[in-house]
Amino acid sequence: MTMLKNTKIDTTQKAKQTVLHAQNVRKSFGSRGNVQQVLKGIDLHVEEGEFVGIMGPSGAGKTTLLNVLATIDRATEGTILISGSDISRMKDAKLSAFRRDQLGFIFQDYNLLDTLTVKENILLPISLGKMKKKEAEAEFQSISSILGITELADKYPHEISGGQKQRTSAARALINKPSMVFADEPTGALDSKSASSLLGTLADVNQKREVTIMMVTHDPLASSYCSRVVFLKDGHIYSELYKGSKSRQAFFQEIMNVQAVLGGDSVDTL
Amino acid sequence: MSRLCSGVTALTLFDLVIRSMRKNIKHYYLYFFALILSVVLYFVFATLQYDSAILELSGTNMGTAFQAAGILLLFIAGIFVVYANSIFLKRRSREIGLYQLIGLTKRVVARLLIVENILLGIGALIIGIAVGLLVSRVFLLLLMKLIGYESFIEVSFSVAAVVQTIVVFIGIFALTTVQMIVMVFRNTLLSLFNSDKAGEHPKKPKTGVSAAFGLLGLLLIGFGYWFSGRMLNELFFFNILIVLATVIAGTYLLFRVTISWLLFKVRSRKEGHLGLLNSLSLAPLMHRLKGNANSLTVITILSAMTLTMVAFSYAMYYETERETDIRMPFDFMFDNNEAQTNEIMGEMDQKGIGYQHGKVDMLVVPTMFEQGVFPGESFERPTAIISDKQLQAAGIDIVAPKDGSASYHDASSLSMFADSVDLPIKIEIQDEDRTTVEITEMGERNVINWSLFYGQLVVSDETYQSLKNKLSGMEGAKIEYIDGFHILEEKDQKTASAIFQQPKYTSSGPHVDYYSSYEESVQDNGLMIFIAGFLGLVFLISTGSILYFKQMTEAEQEKKSYATLRQLGFTGKEIMKGIIRKQVFVFGLPLAIGLLHSVFAMKAASFFFQSDILMPATLAMGVYTLIYTAFAFLTIGYYRKTVNAAL
Repeated sequence: MTMLKNTKIDTTQKAKQTVLHAQNVRKSFGSRGNVQQVLKGIDLHVEEGEFVGIMGPSGAGKTTLLNVLATIDRATEGTILISGSDISRMKDAKLSAFRRDQLGFIFQDYNLLDTLTVKENILLPISLGKMKKKEAEAEFQSISSILGITELADKYPHEISGGQKQRTSAARALINKPSMVFADEPTGALDSKSASSLLGTLADVNQKREVTIMMVTHDPLASSYCSRVVFLKDGHIYSELYKGSKSRQAFFQEIMNVQAVLGGDSVDTL
Repeated sequence: MSRLCSGVTALTLFDLVIRSMRKNIKHYYLYFFALILSVVLYFVFATLQYDSAILELSGTNMGTAFQAAGILLLFIAGIFVVYANSIFLKRRSREIGLYQLIGLTKRVVARLLIVENILLGIGALIIGIAVGLLVSRVFLLLLMKLIGYESFIEVSFSVAAVVQTIVVFIGIFALTTVQMIVMVFRNTLLSLFNSDKAGEHPKKPKTGVSAAFGLLGLLLIGFGYWFSGRMLNELFFFNILIVLATVIAGTYLLFRVTISWLLFKVRSRKEGHLGLLNSLSLAPLMHRLKGNANSLTVITILSAMTLTMVAFSYAMYYETERETDIRMPFDFMFDNNEAQTNEIMGEMDQKGIGYQHGKVDMLVVPTMFEQGVFPGESFERPTAIISDKQLQAAGIDIVAPKDGSASYHDASSLSMFADSVDLPIKIEIQDEDRTTVEITEMGERNVINWSLFYGQLVVSDETYQSLKNKLSGMEGAKIEYIDGFHILEEKDQKTASAIFQQPKYTSSGPHVDYYSSYEESVQDNGLMIFIAGFLGLVFLISTGSILYFKQMTEAEQEKKSYATLRQLGFTGKEIMKGIIRKQVFVFGLPLAIGLLHSVFAMKAASFFFQSDILMPATLAMGVYTLIYTAFAFLTIGYYRKTVNAAL
């Protein structure tokens, strides 16, 4: 297998703290006799304030990697440190608490609770925490104004558009001031206008609030908003691209180029 | 696949049915279980109805009781099955839509469902009747024990019961078939695909209107409760209807408006800071309250009715011995008939039956109570004045009050008013002087058997003698006597009763004796409590199952929410806490309100009973609550499984 090394490391980011450190992560499915290895030894570092996109053809293991890193699924092998805690050795109950305190999630189909209003949905992750009501209220106001959904606070999910739902979902992911936000195809169900608007906001939040985000996507346009894009193929990291000081258009072009090399065998045939 | 598209032949349709049934076992088992359960219960009841031992025992009143209960049971079974079927169809609406999407016509889909329904129906009948055969013996033993039947019994296989069950259930299956056809032909493809997402979205209630209706609900129930304690007048049955109507309407408003209004108030005070527990209890409850108001009302009213019925009949059974006791102080007695008295003593001596005999004189005079003791007009009534000394000699344990005052005994009519009368009261003898006697005690029990319909006034021997001297000459006064008997050995009671009940012996009133009265009322009340208990069990199982089924559907619908919550980092335990809180509400509310309703119903009915019905009522409520709780635990178990499987 040809490894295309394309790393241009921006030295100013070196001083920042490592948020995620994954080493030799492997994941297999199936039982004896019929084992399928989906992740075949992934090493990945993410530093504070990064906006990492994960791309790759179908079946490359993108979502599996996200699930494993996000503690929703367990790795078969390897170590994963998030903010210094080794999540690969945590018990289930402790993992839950970890997810609640340290992580945020944005899903493709929003996963909002239909029975709760926008505000109730957003405040849900901190409902068992020790945050005071006043403090929580202030946090809600600040996040909902960044995401432009303050007006929608008392609406139910069925009353708002897909883009607004995804903004709600994003606000919910950010409310607990997570070390890291995981997003699984957040624009997958949105039209292109809502998608770019949401991505713009995410990039904005990433910059202003220094939130670390990891996003799985198959859309080159979406990943052009990232500061770094990691390409997966057959369970390995195939290549990485840094945006650096390039314009988004230029970065998009670069991503397209890598994808053309990558996707020739599996994406187009599908 | 190509066979499917190019028109469905009977064979492929059948194949499809079998395949879809095998794939959907999970959905089917709920409906199938409901069907089997209904068949079992109905069949058991039908078997008992046709059982030769019971037919032999049952008099006309028993027969009618059984028939009435059978009709009631038919209705419950029908409603229950139709309800279960509607939940079942709702869960499968996506599948039904899919069949139409791939090109099956509505007719073919309907045929498919009907074939399925027939297969399920036949299966349920076979299994239900088989299980029914096994358990009917248990129920028969229970019934025999309750009515005090002691000889050997055997359940015979009753063809009539089988036929009746099959006929009834073919009727019910026809109903569900119609339901299925309506479902297929009435619904658009779109609504079929969206029906699992259905459920209303809570709207902001109009504050003024909601508050008014919410309050009205509480007022209606309050009025019903208040009025239930004041029903005892000429319009008794009309009053019962008023109470029923106000309480049922009030309960409906309570579920439909009052509670959602209260919940809305609580929720808006939280200002969005709802918390996990409320997000899992308050929010989904509000989401579905409108749709659930009907079933919650029905369940509450059914619970209240069941509880009242069971507690009432249990209290009757519980009181049987006491009732007979207080009405019949003698095992039997003759009135003014020396010849028959002597004859029966001869017969009993001959058979070696030990007895105590006492002769008691009575002065019977027309009397009237002073104004205000009885509600309405006071009326003239003959009262027997009796000396306590003579009663003591006849084996009745009684001492008259001193100073010429009297104790009054009438277990059959005065009991309704005994509690509300302030002693002492005066009774006025209708002679020229209007002689009055003061009553300072209300006796709880009769001093002579009830078959002489006189009020019974017990005085000291001196007072008796002086009243007798004074009044025996008045118009309408009579001197009468009774001969009372106590059988000394319990084992002789049956023989003595048989002797007394020979046609040659007569009484001027009903010819009754303690032993046969007791046996008869044990039999009647035993049958009544059995029927009430059986129907109660059926009610309970149906209402509990309906709640369980509904919650199962809800759990399925909310599965995705649980997955989300787990991903957000809430543990299964934390989620379960919220769900348990919801179940406390879903099961607890109808139960609590049902219990409260039944408490007032029993309070209103308590004038039927001489003794306190607290004991039997509490016991009935306890058992009911226990079985209900079991359903709640089943439901929680199902939720736990769903939550754990969610991530």
